[in-house]
Amino acid sequence: MALSLAACGGSGDSAGGGSDEIHVLVYGDATNKVEKQLVDTFNKTSKVKAVLDTIPGADYQSKLQTIISGKQAPDVFFNWGGGSIKPYVDAGLLMPLDDFIAKDPGLKSRFLPSVFDTAVVDGKPYGIPMRGTQPVLLFSNKKVLADAGVTAPRSWDELLTTVKALKAKGVTPIALGGGDKWPTQMWFQYIYDRVAGPEHFQKAVDGDKSVWASADSKKALGMLKELIDAGGFGTNYDSVKFTDGGSPALLATGKAAFELMGSWEYSTLQDAYPDFVKNDLGYGTFPTVEGGKGAPDNLAGNTNNYYSVLKTTKHPEAVAAFLKLMYSDQFVKGQLGIGNLPTTTNTQQFLDGSASPAYSTYQYDLVKKAPHFQLSWDQAFPPAATTTIYQAVQQFFNGQTGPDAFIAAMQNLPAA
Amino acid sequence: MTTAAVPTVDSTDKSVRRGRSSRSSTGVGRPGFAWAAPAAAFFGLFALVPLVLVVVLSFTRWNGLGSPEFVGLDNWSRLLDDPVMVKSLWLSLFLTVLGVVVQTPISILLGVWAAGRQRNRAVLSAVYFVPLLLSITAVSVLWRAVLDPNFGVPSEATWLFGDGNLFGTQAGAIGVLVFVSTWQFTPLHTLIYQGAARAVPQVLYQAAQIDGAGTVRQFFHITLPQLRNSIVTSMVLMVVGGLTTFDTVLILTQGGPGNDTTNSAYYMYQKAFKSFDFGAASAIALLLVLVATLVSLAMVRLTGYDKMRSTMEGV
Repeated sequence: MALSLAACGGSGDSAGGGSDEIHVLVYGDATNKVEKQLVDTFNKTSKVKAVLDTIPGADYQSKLQTIISGKQAPDVFFNWGGGSIKPYVDAGLLMPLDDFIAKDPGLKSRFLPSVFDTAVVDGKPYGIPMRGTQPVLLFSNKKVLADAGVTAPRSWDELLTTVKALKAKGVTPIALGGGDKWPTQMWFQYIYDRVAGPEHFQKAVDGDKSVWASADSKKALGMLKELIDAGGFGTNYDSVKFTDGGSPALLATGKAAFELMGSWEYSTLQDAYPDFVKNDLGYGTFPTVEGGKGAPDNLAGNTNNYYSVLKTTKHPEAVAAFLKLMYSDQFVKGQLGIGNLPTTTNTQQFLDGSASPAYSTYQYDLVKKAPHFQLSWDQAFPPAATTTIYQAVQQFFNGQTGPDAFIAAMQNLPAA
Repeated sequence: MTTAAVPTVDSTDKSVRRGRSSRSSTGVGRPGFAWAAPAAAFFGLFALVPLVLVVVLSFTRWNGLGSPEFVGLDNWSRLLDDPVMVKSLWLSLFLTVLGVVVQTPISILLGVWAAGRQRNRAVLSAVYFVPLLLSITAVSVLWRAVLDPNFGVPSEATWLFGDGNLFGTQAGAIGVLVFVSTWQFTPLHTLIYQGAARAVPQVLYQAAQIDGAGTVRQFFHITLPQLRNSIVTSMVLMVVGGLTTFDTVLILTQGGPGNDTTNSAYYMYQKAFKSFDFGAASAIALLLVLVATLVSLAMVRLTGYDKMRSTMEGV
């Protein structure tokens, strides 16, 4: 039964019959196991039944866009907050969740504020956090660092000296899956946050194109350029991908010393190289930048995933009741059990039950004390901008374009 | 999809025209328009109607939400000013020409060889045929892994690949695209040439032998001229396939590095399903239809495909 429901991916017949169902559309992957359990829990007590629909992997955003304004639209759907839902808000498709929150304040107060805020669009909340937070961290191979006589760098200057030492040892200092492009983007979103502060990027998203040409912007690009030219990433990073296991393998086999990657790097490595994770995997935050405007505790990455609600839903009460489960103990335990890190206020008490308690605790503390959690650029801007951003970061990294062309490309992005 | 309709537009035009002329010859029971009706209806529904819709869409701004908004020639003027669009058209043509130039000699030689009677020929021919049976997606994923700079072939053969940055340079990325398409599609064209080479009358070779012509001369003066129509057929297929190349680009390079392998078909996909700019994507599709139509018309004219003169005169 579960399989057949999942398989019909978004084929809810809201036109006829089926009026006592709500359709919940999620990104199809391993986490669906927990979502299925929650749906079952919900259906035990609710008269209106929830149906879980999934769209597998990479096609999620494209398929969502094609069904969301039609008859097959779900009632509740998975998203990344920010720019990923902005076009739907603009098209008047989504329901602001103020009323839900007024009736059940827990829908806001039970989540970490930096995370909840990512799904606030035009001052109104449109998403309830679900699944886990995925900050981007600097992972390292402790053995390679020890062999080169260096430690994980705390500041940008230290990173540059570390790069020199590692190069002298003949290892690629930093593994980068440039073929995927978004790993390259991670370097930009962190260095811009460190140098120019989060307000700078927020202005850009809000449509102020002048910020890209600011002195801070040029400084950030100059620093990146210095790292690239110093050989920090080697020469063939554009032929390497994270998604086919290329860049994590570089780190785990000691051919590279660092990789800047989302927190999912841990489980990726755990699957492929359990011994490496046990003995030599190090993780830390992005280096600080002296004199930078961004707080050194700021994070960047995927703040969380969110459930948003369609205005057209016939059962808002049932939907509100379903969303309430997103801060339940069952939800938190289920997510932790498969390695995700939920961002509810009650997460802390269950951290010991996580798949890797030390790692989860480390991340949870980071997220909790972070003054700002920068949503990935490709998700902060609407989907229409993604291609341009990816091209601009890649061309800047491989030297095809200079800072001026990068600035011009970013100024041409559609405003969010 | 719309781009794939290009050669069909041309060929149906032809069949309709032929139908009309045969009707005027008042022959009973000979092909008339009615015979073509089912195919024409099918073609109209699945090729012409979408094509018309794409024309309409190309004058609108639409992101898939709500209804399209008419913006006149806006998409078109943006497109003609778009350096990536111009670059993508040249890339499409370049990839096509490169594909034809590389694949044709290989498949002619393989095909003629496979038409012979050597030992092990059947076994080897079967082996050569295998790539065509595999899914292009699977093949692309496979090659991507084989060509990984750190763990694939390039890391073992640094004398040839240097730092192995095949996907990080335009020349390397284009090389990979051409190589993988060649590897996959040469068997199809080999098959065409094998069949055609088998059909060459043996008397021609016997006569040439008596005149003292060696294998090489026989190949250039008998086999190659006899294959003329097959060469045209195979080249038309290559051009159509080349202009609409998409899956290899999607999986191997995603149009990168930067936009260095973004051909028109991939650019259209990017605009439509990554940027959700269906208006611009429709305009690109139409432009591709236009270019492909011109190219195929030119080919048909230049090669005499429309006349298909017999190669059997005097035999």
